[in-house]
Amino acid sequence: MTQLALVIDLNVCVGCHACVTSCKQWNTSGAAGPLVDDRPYGADPTGTFFNRVQIFEVGAHPNTQTVHFPKSCLHCEDPPCVPVCPTGASYKRAEDGIVLVDADKCIGCKYCAWACPYRAREMDDERKVMSKCTLCVDRIHDQDLPPSERKPACVLACPPNARLFGDVHDPDSEVSVAIRDRGGYALMPEWNTHPANHYLPRRRTDMGVHVEDLVRVDNPLKIDGKQPGTPYLGGGREDYAT
Amino acid sequence: MAMYHSWDSQNAWLRQIHAHNFLFVNTATALAAGVADGGWMWVESPWGKVRCLCRTSEAVEPGTVWTWNAIGKAAGAWNLAPDANESRKGFLLNHLIREELPAAGGGTVSNSDPITGQAAWYDVRVRIYPAGPEEQPISWPQATAAMAMVPGMAAAPKRRSWMAGLGLGKFKEGKP
Repeated sequence: MTQLALVIDLNVCVGCHACVTSCKQWNTSGAAGPLVDDRPYGADPTGTFFNRVQIFEVGAHPNTQTVHFPKSCLHCEDPPCVPVCPTGASYKRAEDGIVLVDADKCIGCKYCAWACPYRAREMDDERKVMSKCTLCVDRIHDQDLPPSERKPACVLACPPNARLFGDVHDPDSEVSVAIRDRGGYALMPEWNTHPANHYLPRRRTDMGVHVEDLVRVDNPLKIDGKQPGTPYLGGGREDYAT
Repeated sequence: MAMYHSWDSQNAWLRQIHAHNFLFVNTATALAAGVADGGWMWVESPWGKVRCLCRTSEAVEPGTVWTWNAIGKAAGAWNLAPDANESRKGFLLNHLIREELPAAGGGTVSNSDPITGQAAWYDVRVRIYPAGPEEQPISWPQATAAMAMVPGMAAAPKRRSWMAGLGLGKFKEGKP
């Protein structure tokens, strides 16, 4: 059985949001659209996006990482959003494993949004129906497109190819090999949802940066003696190098 | 960080990613200055001062503050609503710097790269401190009046559902 999925390399993603805007561009004019923009030019603009990037920091200076974490529907193999739907609008396709919402059946009750532990569903306030990532189902099977373009819009848009797309049930697919070789993991496995999408972890890189490089002699707070903690008060390496 | 300079703030989708900026301050530096994460603060240089929102970060060297510039805009600029986040929460650091710097031996020299002439905006020493509880929770300075619409310019829509070929979400009778 086929289970299409995205595999996202967190070691490569720099949070440029190209996947976010290309997703909206394709889907607002596609079968799942249009996607509303509320107060688009006013205070606190908001709207429907199938794909969003969360950004957070890990660690303490100077050993800090800024993690850019793109998130969309994970197309779970056991999706909790499906059994809670009272009208059968929320369903999982047998042929490719994509989880979809039938907008004609959806009554906008939001049960599925409460059931989803990943908050991956988006209530469209204009159409009053639940919507979500379709894995670009209206283009990946389009026989009129050349095979190289039969991929989700976000995958085609990603400048450094941080997003891979394929069948995670095929052990020889690009995505399965990436998950196997590089420690790909699923989000919150304790929920037993078996998400199809996986993430490739960040990898340790030695930048060769020394603490004294980060704390310069001409740091203004060092001059004032006001630097909190004052971790290093000697000369920085760069002060001697130039 | 996705933000780049003025960020096409007329673009409804990009505005939903970033509509205002923060001053990024090392957590320990902010703590020492009494400035809270997400709180209003002042950043002041010899040339001027700005009230802005603080975002504490471990990715900033203690003693350094920075932001992405130019998302801050005057009220009504770019046909945004007068209360748009760009003008109420966004800010420019331009108020802290000068076009010219004092030159050795008197006079001034352009605050730009001497080789290329590109605006270099050299580092400037600033002081940071929290805004008082009695102060308005908006960025400062503010424009004295919202910019008026240029003749021929249409009011911005309150809601959009954009679909290719259908215009601004309004299905036109008799047209595909």
